[in-house]
Amino acid sequence: MAAFLSGISIVCFAASYAVALACEASRLVFRSGVRGFVMVGFAAAGLFAHTLFLIWRAVDAGTAPLSSPFDWYLLAAWLLAVGSLYLTVTNPKTPVGLFLLPIVLALVGAATLASREPFLNDSASRFWGRIHGGFHLVWSVSVVLGAIAGLMWLIQAGRLTRKAAPLRGFRMPSLERLAHVTARTPAIAAWAAAAGFVSGIVLNAVNHRRGLIETVPWSDPVVLRMAAVVAWLIIAERIAATVRRRPDGARTTAWLALLSLAALAASIAWGVLGATRHGKPAAAVVLMATVHEAEA
Amino acid sequence: MTLALVGGTHRTVPLALRERLAFTAEQAAEALGRFRDRFPGREGVLLSTCNRVEFYTAGERGAAPPPPDQLVSFLAECRGIDATSLGPLLSREHDEAVARHLFGVAAGLDSMVLGEPQILAQVKQAWAIAQDSHTSGPLTAGMFQAALRAAKRVATETALGRERVSIPSVAVADFARGVFERFEDKRVLLVGAGKMAAETLRYLREAGAQDVVIVNRTAARARDLAARLDVTPAPFSDLEHQLASADLVVSTTGASDHVVPLELFLRAEDHREGRPLVVLDLAVPRDFDPRIGGRPGVWLYCVDDLAAACAANRRSRQREMPQAVAIIDEETRRFMGDMHHRSTAPVIEQLLAGWSETGDAELDRLYRRLPHLAEADRTEIRQAFERYAAKMLHPPLTSLRNESRSGPPHGLLDALRRLFNLPE
Repeated sequence: MAAFLSGISIVCFAASYAVALACEASRLVFRSGVRGFVMVGFAAAGLFAHTLFLIWRAVDAGTAPLSSPFDWYLLAAWLLAVGSLYLTVTNPKTPVGLFLLPIVLALVGAATLASREPFLNDSASRFWGRIHGGFHLVWSVSVVLGAIAGLMWLIQAGRLTRKAAPLRGFRMPSLERLAHVTARTPAIAAWAAAAGFVSGIVLNAVNHRRGLIETVPWSDPVVLRMAAVVAWLIIAERIAATVRRRPDGARTTAWLALLSLAALAASIAWGVLGATRHGKPAAAVVLMATVHEAEA
Repeated sequence: MTLALVGGTHRTVPLALRERLAFTAEQAAEALGRFRDRFPGREGVLLSTCNRVEFYTAGERGAAPPPPDQLVSFLAECRGIDATSLGPLLSREHDEAVARHLFGVAAGLDSMVLGEPQILAQVKQAWAIAQDSHTSGPLTAGMFQAALRAAKRVATETALGRERVSIPSVAVADFARGVFERFEDKRVLLVGAGKMAAETLRYLREAGAQDVVIVNRTAARARDLAARLDVTPAPFSDLEHQLASADLVVSTTGASDHVVPLELFLRAEDHREGRPLVVLDLAVPRDFDPRIGGRPGVWLYCVDDLAAACAANRRSRQREMPQAVAIIDEETRRFMGDMHHRSTAPVIEQLLAGWSETGDAELDRLYRRLPHLAEADRTEIRQAFERYAAKMLHPPLTSLRNESRSGPPHGLLDALRRLFNLPE
């Protein structure tokens, strides 16, 4: 069993998700009676392998799902894959996977670039770290779901404005249902992001007071970036609440949701590719400091 | 000839004559009873709809279907029409063409609205009337069951009947449902009650709409319509207020100018609290000022918009035709193969009987010469004889079946008769 679990790699579930995505995309090209089964089969197989991979990580490496940037990205991807499979099964005529699976694959891709080294693991840091990571997970998933609902809203509204019949095999949910989702996610995202940011400050303060090397400087780009993202999400939530009862409120909220996704994507790209001490293990922090000194 | 068809459709028979030729269910049963008495041993099914009257007959072995002219006269006599005026308008088909035509009819390929599903229920009903009238038989049973199978395949394997093609159905399914998830909590406002209002309301009610209000210029007419359509009447002077509280408007007045000008709508819009509004303006000339469609949160569709969507759906159905025709061809070949194979039954029965008779005679002779054989041994020997006969007959019977797929296997049947000295 252990040999089987250890043989599951990221490629296994990423490839399954990719095949499911290709099946979704083929809706636009041709009709098939078996495509739905193939699509759900590959998505379910990918999710099964993904789940086993996370379980193996927890058992083998002794790391909980939020213990490293790598695990954080994979857990976020897993949550969205669960949502994608559920929505595909319950709404077989709606190409939900076409919107969700690319983001799942992007998060899996981000995971491969992210550090696998666990965060600081003493009790105080672990407690605040879990809260910090958990809230980040909530706002990130909320932003993704809100943005996808927003994008679908704009596509559906575009079709209705053009007065065109729905494309075969590409039936969007109603504007009412999509607006229902986009109207709720900004508040969830804003409050979770604010809570995540505050818990991050507490975590950093705890580390700082104990003189730990993993302390992130208050001027670190990731702190400034997260402050900007949180500020944007709160502003977006306020705007969405203000325009809710206006005739064009749903459209505005849809665009705000897409902008929030862009902010999330930029934040992830910065976190993966940019120079920061956030989430870095002690060894990496020492190495970075040495490089900075040498450059100086 | 085993199968025959005489009939006329919306393409060949003018409406006035079609109306006279049409049969109600009772009239069809009566006509079939008369057919049974006049042409005993023949099978008959009468399909009568708004767009077609078709009489399918079948028979074999000395009871072939009546000649087409006799069928035309029979139909004319049943409906009291002059056969000489009817005859040239009715088409006549026989054998494979009959099956192919019925399969296409059942699948909706021959309907006025391509792919419409109601015809299948009408075909089933025609078959049920024939069964009740005792004019159905094995040939028509096989053909009508194959027709239902072909129609089901066309419905599931192609998208022929999926896109809607009537303005009210497209308005509700493709547009109103694109905006609203559910209609149970929506207010529907009918402005006027043109002929399309009732049908649109029917689709909205199927979707769950319950709260329906009607306004009409004439209060008495509004009350009459409200009673007829089971909706709530409101005075025409209340139109602005009703617009403010409506979620979906169906407008079908006969007014010569806009019933809802932009100014009136803007006043109502102030009280809508940003709720989306779907307007199905089915009136010609239009009831709503077209500029209203440019307001945020308003989805305004006029007859031309919906007709364009219907036309696109019709084109989409047309694109499915080659696949549907391929299914009909395949099912026709399959059915005709079964039919031809069925015609070999007498020869096969004679062949089996001959082998069985010879085998029995030889067994009797053997048992007489070996009287000491136990009953179990006799049974074993008899079974061996039967297995031998079955194995020897298997190749010619398989050849007969294979040959039947491409047509009546006259050559093989003739050869078998001559080789085994079977009677004609």
